[in-house]
Amino acid sequence: MRVNKFTIGGIGLGVLGLLTAAACGSTSTPSTSTLASAQVLHFPVFQDPGTFDPGEITAEVDSELMQNVFDNLWRFDNNLNIVPDIATAVPTQANGGISADGLTYTVHLNPAAKFSNGDAVTSKDVLYSWNRAAALQGGYASNLAKVQGYSAVQKAAGAAPTSGTPTTFQGNIETQLKAGNPAFMMSGLTAIDPETVQIKLSGACGWCLTAWTLESTSGAIVDQKAIEAPGVDPVNWWQTPANLVGTGAYKLTSYVPKQSMTFSVVPNWWGSPKPTLQTINIDIKDPSTAPTTVDAFFQKGYDIIGYGGDSALIPLANILAVKANSREAPDLLTKAKGRTTWVGFNIGYPATGGPFLGTGAAATGLRMAFDLAVDKQGLATTVCHNLICSAATGGLITAGLIGNGGANSDPLAKFDPVQAKSLLKQYDPTGSLTAHIIYSYNAGSLNESAAEYLQNEWKTNLGVNVTLNSVSDASIFISSYLAGKYMMSREGWQFDYNHPQDWYDNLWGSISTADGLNATGWDNATYDSTLKTADAESLTTALPLYMQLGQILQSNVVYIPLYYSVSNFLIQPYVSGAGSNAAFDHYWDGIKILSH
Amino acid sequence: MLTRGTLIYIAQRLALILFTLIVVSFLVFITVHSLPGSAFESEKVHGKALQLVLHEYGLDRPILVQYWSFFTNAIHGNLGVSFQIRGLPITPVVMRELSVSAELGGTALLITIGLGTTFGVLAAIRQNSWVDYTLTSIAVVGYSVPSFVLAGLGVLIFSYWLPTVTNGVISYPAEWSGTYGTILELSLPAIILGFYTSGQVTRITRAAMLEVLQQDYIRTARAKGLKSRVVTVRHALRNALIPVISILGPLVISIITGSVIIENIFGIPGLGKEFVESILQADYNITVAVFTVYALLIGIANLIVDLLYTVVDPRIRY
Repeated sequence: MRVNKFTIGGIGLGVLGLLTAAACGSTSTPSTSTLASAQVLHFPVFQDPGTFDPGEITAEVDSELMQNVFDNLWRFDNNLNIVPDIATAVPTQANGGISADGLTYTVHLNPAAKFSNGDAVTSKDVLYSWNRAAALQGGYASNLAKVQGYSAVQKAAGAAPTSGTPTTFQGNIETQLKAGNPAFMMSGLTAIDPETVQIKLSGACGWCLTAWTLESTSGAIVDQKAIEAPGVDPVNWWQTPANLVGTGAYKLTSYVPKQSMTFSVVPNWWGSPKPTLQTINIDIKDPSTAPTTVDAFFQKGYDIIGYGGDSALIPLANILAVKANSREAPDLLTKAKGRTTWVGFNIGYPATGGPFLGTGAAATGLRMAFDLAVDKQGLATTVCHNLICSAATGGLITAGLIGNGGANSDPLAKFDPVQAKSLLKQYDPTGSLTAHIIYSYNAGSLNESAAEYLQNEWKTNLGVNVTLNSVSDASIFISSYLAGKYMMSREGWQFDYNHPQDWYDNLWGSISTADGLNATGWDNATYDSTLKTADAESLTTALPLYMQLGQILQSNVVYIPLYYSVSNFLIQPYVSGAGSNAAFDHYWDGIKILSH
Repeated sequence: MLTRGTLIYIAQRLALILFTLIVVSFLVFITVHSLPGSAFESEKVHGKALQLVLHEYGLDRPILVQYWSFFTNAIHGNLGVSFQIRGLPITPVVMRELSVSAELGGTALLITIGLGTTFGVLAAIRQNSWVDYTLTSIAVVGYSVPSFVLAGLGVLIFSYWLPTVTNGVISYPAEWSGTYGTILELSLPAIILGFYTSGQVTRITRAAMLEVLQQDYIRTARAKGLKSRVVTVRHALRNALIPVISILGPLVISIITGSVIIENIFGIPGLGKEFVESILQADYNITVAVFTVYALLIGIANLIVDLLYTVVDPRIRY
């Protein structure tokens, strides 16, 4: 073969091309987008499931996993928009799904929808699931509170008797539903035909559709046949993989309590997108092992860290180390989460007392003094390194969610030590009122370092010594602060669904007060009436009213805004489609394992 | 051969164990149910919802009624259900975790006896030599340093320091990868757990051996021309083991209680780890169940040790 200059040039170009291609690739990035032969996702969770029963689920880890097993009539997409799931459409007045008076919803079911055991989903399954959830009265049953007959069902199911054999309550509900007892069925729910459900409300409700869409909770559809099958325990039915029948893309195939779970794809799943992942292996780990689990991730022992509601458990030290390592940093995904933390005051519990009690000028002024004395940006920098939280400057509702006022819109987010000192001098000139203030918080997470930061701020900027009260048992802290036993305490809220009602109703509204959730005891007639009006309106109409509610809270200095939570995930570069939004992990059906 | 007297003795001891279990479980049951806090209460579950859950698990009944329910179920092998993992039957979980702890404890016991008697015998037959001083010093360190200190050091050295220094060539997994530990995973926690008790065995074996080696029958055996190894192992060691066996009961108890700490430090999914977690999570049924199982284990271990006396020393009869 004769070698000429064109041949040499061609070889040279070829070599150059190969070198360029090699240089563009990296050791941590898949060289192609082809799929790996094994579509298996492996990640840890740091908590055992409390329950996988959608009627009882309250924990985030349970919900994050079960959103892949159960479906609702609608689902939130990864951008938190409501899209059809088992229902064929999102009901609106324009498409006839909602009546003109807003009180009747007509829902058509997708005839293709099937449970993982092959049973077809019918309107009776919807009625069973919702009636069951209402009767169980779990943490999210109130999402169905506006459906006609909700209260009657709860009454029929019975308040807790003072005696009796355990399991009677749940067992009785299943028995009555199986027997078709109308007392256990909400009158507002009707199966028009096997594929059509009619929902009648007891009053106009602008937030109901969003609440019903909340994944893995009271709106989820379960299989009556599976739960009521002979020999199935009405309480722990979900622990046996064969009983945990949903309509989602995945099903539980193995569960070893306190050790591991395995989920497998449902063959020929009816929904979309068609899943690529075949198997999800989950190790149940102790939270104390989080640092070593991060090590395991970088040794390719895990594909993701932070999924399953555990994104806050990666220790800050590990996150800082990962950020500082150019090879590891690309694997870190940081996402704002829908959780706000603030300082709450005792405003309405006279028995607890304290200088912040009441709505008078002195109490309000002192609350303002303690608020202005805190540098919120400084807290985010000092405590969170601007990595695991950001300063809460846009109001109570977390940035990025509907109802947030935008950066620096909350007057309570200001830091003005001069004004703070002035207010303190005005309303507590002798210092006697603020001499014995106690700030209570539950130990763990950021609470410890945030409390120390606050203590230092109040000491430095007000000259007030605040005693810290760390409560090691979270349940004791919660029961105490809900009962208004703390003069000043850490408070917070993680949103359930992207609607301001979730915040304003559950924290200070008349509903929360009646439910014993109003930790500050602050009560305001204007707030309640505005909230009632807003809740009945569509979101577009209601949003200005909800913004007014935020302003009422601010003008009354009901809280000291601290920070919005930020979560961190570690995701291998070959895991495509994994991620998170403010509420939940991306669904498994959108994840693919690329060649690596 | 079990004599009638031995059988009566065993029956008496079993009755005593049963009585102990009832007392222990009752006291623990009452105590943990009196603790503040709840496995159920959260921002989402409170008030009426909380009352319903408490009713579901029978926790709204009088405490004595609750205990009676626990007791009657327990004698049928049902230790109740978990509160954290709602409705999860505890018995299979406890049995699995017991087997994990048994793997760790059994290995630690082998290390205790193997290492302790070997060191003790060597120290005795090389009395006042560098071998004696070295082994005795190791034994003193063994029973002087708490196991949690050794465990912490072990994790620091083998899971963090050595992997860093050797760039991962030498690395000990900081936690078990599966239900049961591999030989590698088991090695470090078992050695640390057994190290403390092996120190005691070394000390007692050495003292017993020194005493036995002074006996006339040992001198006679040597005079008969028996090899030193035969004299040591067959004649001296067997008799020297009697005091060792007498402390086996406390040693086993030490290993069982020590495993609570070791399992938590090494992330071993056994009874000890469960015990601590259940307390922190207010999962009362598991706490009571694990405590009761511990009491049962200790009772049975003591019984077995007492019966072993008759094997080692035929003069002992019950």
